[in-house]
Amino acid sequence: MFDLANPEKFFALSRRLIPVMAALAVILFAAGLWYGLVASPADYQQGDSVRIMYVHVPAAWMALFCYTMMAVSSAAGFIWKHPLADISAKAAAPVGLVFTGLALGTGMIWGKPIWNTWWAWDARLTSVLVLFFLYAGYLALWEAIEDKARAAKLCAIMCIIGFINVPIIKFSVDWWYSLHQPASVFRAGGPSIDPSMLTPLFLMALAYQFLFFALLLIAIRNEWMRRRIARLERLEMRVMSELVAP
Amino acid sequence: MKRFSAIIMRDLRLAFRAGGGTWPSLVFFALIILDFALAIGPDIRLLSRIGAPLLWGSALFGVLVSIDRIFQADLEDGSLEILIATSEFLALTVLAKAIAHWLSVGLPLTLAAGALGLLVGLEGAAFGPLVVSLAIGTPALSLVAVLGAAVTASLKRAGVLASLLVAPFYTPVVIFGAQIANSGPGSGDTSLPALLILAAFTLFMLIIVPIAAAFALRFGQN
Amino acid sequence: MTRQMTRQQTRAALIAAVLGVAALATGLVLTALGNSVAYFYTPSQLVALAAPPKNIIRLGGLVAAGSVAFRSGERSIVDFVVEDGRATTKVSFEGVLPDLFREGQGVVVQGRVEPDGRLSALEVLAKHDETYMPREVAEALKEQGVWREPSPKP
Repeated sequence: MFDLANPEKFFALSRRLIPVMAALAVILFAAGLWYGLVASPADYQQGDSVRIMYVHVPAAWMALFCYTMMAVSSAAGFIWKHPLADISAKAAAPVGLVFTGLALGTGMIWGKPIWNTWWAWDARLTSVLVLFFLYAGYLALWEAIEDKARAAKLCAIMCIIGFINVPIIKFSVDWWYSLHQPASVFRAGGPSIDPSMLTPLFLMALAYQFLFFALLLIAIRNEWMRRRIARLERLEMRVMSELVAP
Repeated sequence: MKRFSAIIMRDLRLAFRAGGGTWPSLVFFALIILDFALAIGPDIRLLSRIGAPLLWGSALFGVLVSIDRIFQADLEDGSLEILIATSEFLALTVLAKAIAHWLSVGLPLTLAAGALGLLVGLEGAAFGPLVVSLAIGTPALSLVAVLGAAVTASLKRAGVLASLLVAPFYTPVVIFGAQIANSGPGSGDTSLPALLILAAFTLFMLIIVPIAAAFALRFGQN
Repeated sequence: MTRQMTRQQTRAALIAAVLGVAALATGLVLTALGNSVAYFYTPSQLVALAAPPKNIIRLGGLVAAGSVAFRSGERSIVDFVVEDGRATTKVSFEGVLPDLFREGQGVVVQGRVEPDGRLSALEVLAKHDETYMPREVAEALKEQGVWREPSPKP
């Protein structure tokens, strides 16, 4: 793992991994969407509205997974000064922001027919909205600071403190009575979803996972190259200024 | 200890004089209340009912507009660099800044909320819970504000950015604070759990913010 | 303070203060645990209140079996009872019910408590539980007699 800190090795490996992951994501999305929208049964209570679950639930999982990964990366960058850690935290943030937005949007679309309301200020919905703003704040701070090494450290502080929201989101439905129902899959006593619905859910979850890693690797490479360009430009400026005014 | 109180006294003197941080926050706070009262119009009963949460939300904005000033003046005249370089425990210096911020912004807002409660027709029994909840909640607002200011201290124009950074951390404060403020006699509800959680949040911030903000200040320096 | 503390002493005092504050805060949270930010009251919580709340509140629970009655009249007014296994609250509502509304279903009702203890609802939201299954499976389970009604804890 620490071998990947070597940029050349990371670039060589990621060049081969990205197409594989992207292809897997496409295949799994096709299979998961077909299974979820066509082949799986309607719910005994919710009817066909339940199919929004296959888009909504994996997006929400990824929103939490992504922030957790960012917090771990930030801590790693903080403690071990691992060169890829800062970059991977930053690269994951926009992806996490989109997943969180998707979870919120699909949740609203699901809430209207089932709950009879677009939005409710219960603990789960509110804490996920807070997560959205944590992502937004992280990205805004990153963009505002010119010196990227300094930005990484300051963003890491905010990211780690914001991590407290992740367990609050996860357990909000157990700690407090909320309109949102409790966990169906990762819960004591096993999933409370029929296997015919669990299969497309897992297919979609895997598809999201591969999509995330493909996007993450691409974003890491971009960020790395962006920094290299910035370094080269600074070098060029220095060389030019020496040439002009010796 | 002498150094600790000296920082507080210095910040307080700067805050209360003309051009300091206290007055903009108070005026902004009052203006929001004024705008809401005028926008709602003649329905004084509606205004009275939403008065406490309205005062809470507006007080929060009053704190947000003050973030910019916490380290900005120190940064411009170079005293921030000296503070950082000479602090044996930078976290304690940060704590002193936070206490000064609360005394110069949080406490005046709390007291002003009591006065502005008259303008929105708050019921007599609602003043106590409102002022108590603000007294417990505004220290947390001040502490988080100092963190936001520390993280953005190296930036030229950080006002909106700092607000964006701290706003997510203000959600629990406003949820529990407004819950206490709303639970006057007649609501039939007991606000003790909310009060305890709000106090706990303030205490946690009392630990986390000085440490995190001290790191941020050192990182912000070259 | 006459004697200046050494750096080590200050550090030790600071760590002790941090631990003390953390312990105090944790204690406060543990004391407060309960349903302090509940999205809704349950009927038994509502009954336990000293005085009925004046504000608009939310009430959560299950629609009691056999309690739904549409009043005959020119407009659709419905009466039903919300229960949580220990207590019940009467609710009346005028408006559009969610599709999922039925007896035994979890609901969250927003409204005002009338002097007679009845909740006059402004809005009715359906709360569904965490089980998902096809209709055939639900019916098969009912036939086999292993069907469990959605848990009474809303």
